[in-house]
Amino acid sequence: MSKVMTMKEAVAAHVQDGDFVYIGGYICRTPFSAVHEIIRQRKSGLTITRGNAADDFDMMIGAGVVKRFISTFISLGLYGLARCYRRSLEKGIPHRIEVEEYTNLSLPMMLMAGAMGMPFVPVKDLLGTDLLNIRGFMGENKYKRIESPFDGRPVLLVPALNPDVGIIHVQQADEGGNAQMWGIGGDCKYGANASKKVIVSCERIVSRETIGKDPSRTIVPDFKVAAVVEEPFASHPGYTPGFYDLDLGFGYLYKEASGTVEGFEAFLKEWVYDLPDRAAYIQHFIDRFGYARFRSLQARFDFGYPVSYEY
Amino acid sequence: MTDHPNDYIKPELMACCGAREIRDGDVVVVGTGFPTMSANIAKHTHAPRAVMMQESGVYDARPRRPALSVGDACLNPGAAMIGGLVDIMGMFLQGGWIDVGFLSGSQVDRFGNINTTCIGPYDQPKSRLPGSGGANPIGAMARRVLIIAQHDPRRLPARVDFVTTPGYIDGAGAREKWNLPAGTGPHVIITNKAVLRFDPETKEAYLASFHPGCTIDEIRSLTGWDLKVADDVHETEPPRAEELQVIREVLDPHRMIKIYESKGYV
Repeated sequence: MSKVMTMKEAVAAHVQDGDFVYIGGYICRTPFSAVHEIIRQRKSGLTITRGNAADDFDMMIGAGVVKRFISTFISLGLYGLARCYRRSLEKGIPHRIEVEEYTNLSLPMMLMAGAMGMPFVPVKDLLGTDLLNIRGFMGENKYKRIESPFDGRPVLLVPALNPDVGIIHVQQADEGGNAQMWGIGGDCKYGANASKKVIVSCERIVSRETIGKDPSRTIVPDFKVAAVVEEPFASHPGYTPGFYDLDLGFGYLYKEASGTVEGFEAFLKEWVYDLPDRAAYIQHFIDRFGYARFRSLQARFDFGYPVSYEY
Repeated sequence: MTDHPNDYIKPELMACCGAREIRDGDVVVVGTGFPTMSANIAKHTHAPRAVMMQESGVYDARPRRPALSVGDACLNPGAAMIGGLVDIMGMFLQGGWIDVGFLSGSQVDRFGNINTTCIGPYDQPKSRLPGSGGANPIGAMARRVLIIAQHDPRRLPARVDFVTTPGYIDGAGAREKWNLPAGTGPHVIITNKAVLRFDPETKEAYLASFHPGCTIDEIRSLTGWDLKVADDVHETEPPRAEELQVIREVLDPHRMIKIYESKGYV
């Protein structure tokens, strides 16, 4: 069954105001076109999560669509601290989001627990630090300390996370949603599978037969997927292995723009609100920076050996 | 006699200090910048069997250029294994297999606790920082944690504003009380002025060596607590010729390390 639709349709149908949303990526395969569409449709009151958040989360916070952030880390990487995030927590602009903080171990494990239908998972981090002392909107449910029923030693339990919707970008998927990814994984596999339904954007839609040529690359099976969006260049200014590299120049542009409220608003108008979809975004990128620069981001073709499953 | 050229910059010396803490065969979790450079210097000199992984999911990468982040595209092709956070942080770090982790922070205190969360009160931060990321679990579970810091009293206070990552917490016995894995914890603080190590009894950081051109009095005045000085305190060994050759010819031909001078590591 084909679940192929546009990003506009996918976000309108499957992301509701107030939803808990997992958004995949680790600089690698950031689903930026979905993030732009969420902002463009002016969703509100979202709770968002991912280990190691970056410019995509900063942009959603600045655009005012976020109420709560289950967090481990957020920065602009090479370009330093996340400006919209700081303005939200330091000055309440556009409003003060609520934050619940874990780490890049515990949060991915909470998603793993969610994916596996477990209510919680034991972890060895957080102990002895102020991360254990502060509690945000999850209150007493941030964690529990118990004695292990097996050896009697204290153990820290953190709750499973089950987002309403998970959004990931992958290299390829079939029309039903079997989603294949390669390269740096972050917490993408667990975040998607912990979610009640999944929106998959992909660089290319391929046949079920093509999926079957390398089935161990599939991270989400089609029965969990609600929408498939074919959206080349969807991760820009992040990267997708095998397709294109990180756009450092654009990262700098975002850093400069997001340094002030006015600059950030102008950025949103130019790159999100005034563009109807990703195709228009790409065209605007080419108009603004030239086709040569667009091409320069593309990955070279790797003539290495394909994976063989012969027996 | 070992040859020590005198045209090095301070960040090169710091990278060499990090490299010398890595032993052959160590399994090392690295970030970008200093940690990667230190681990690679070690690999090219005394520790050829050391291996590196990035928390994002990469094991034994063979990048064609220096990685700009732990999620950089250049880490993908040629790596021995790529998984995700649950693999590296869960199976390998929490599983107890990581020998060395590198950390830095806006503040590091006398017990090696690190703050990357906020300056000022948590609810009304003067400056909101990025958060823990992988720092807390690395600080909790790597056998030897190497801390990189800039040496000034604001960055090396007696107590950090917020403990994001556990060092020895409030001193001797605290890690044990919190049930952190035995035999783990901060090993050294490498600054742009000195190398600090941790007293095995009190768990407080003390001055082990001062970098060439720095004085003990200057270092003590730049430290936010009453810094004790080792009986055998000595000058830090400057970069050796072979270490500098690895940095300049193999790892960093474009001299990207100079960016640390503009960040204050001088």
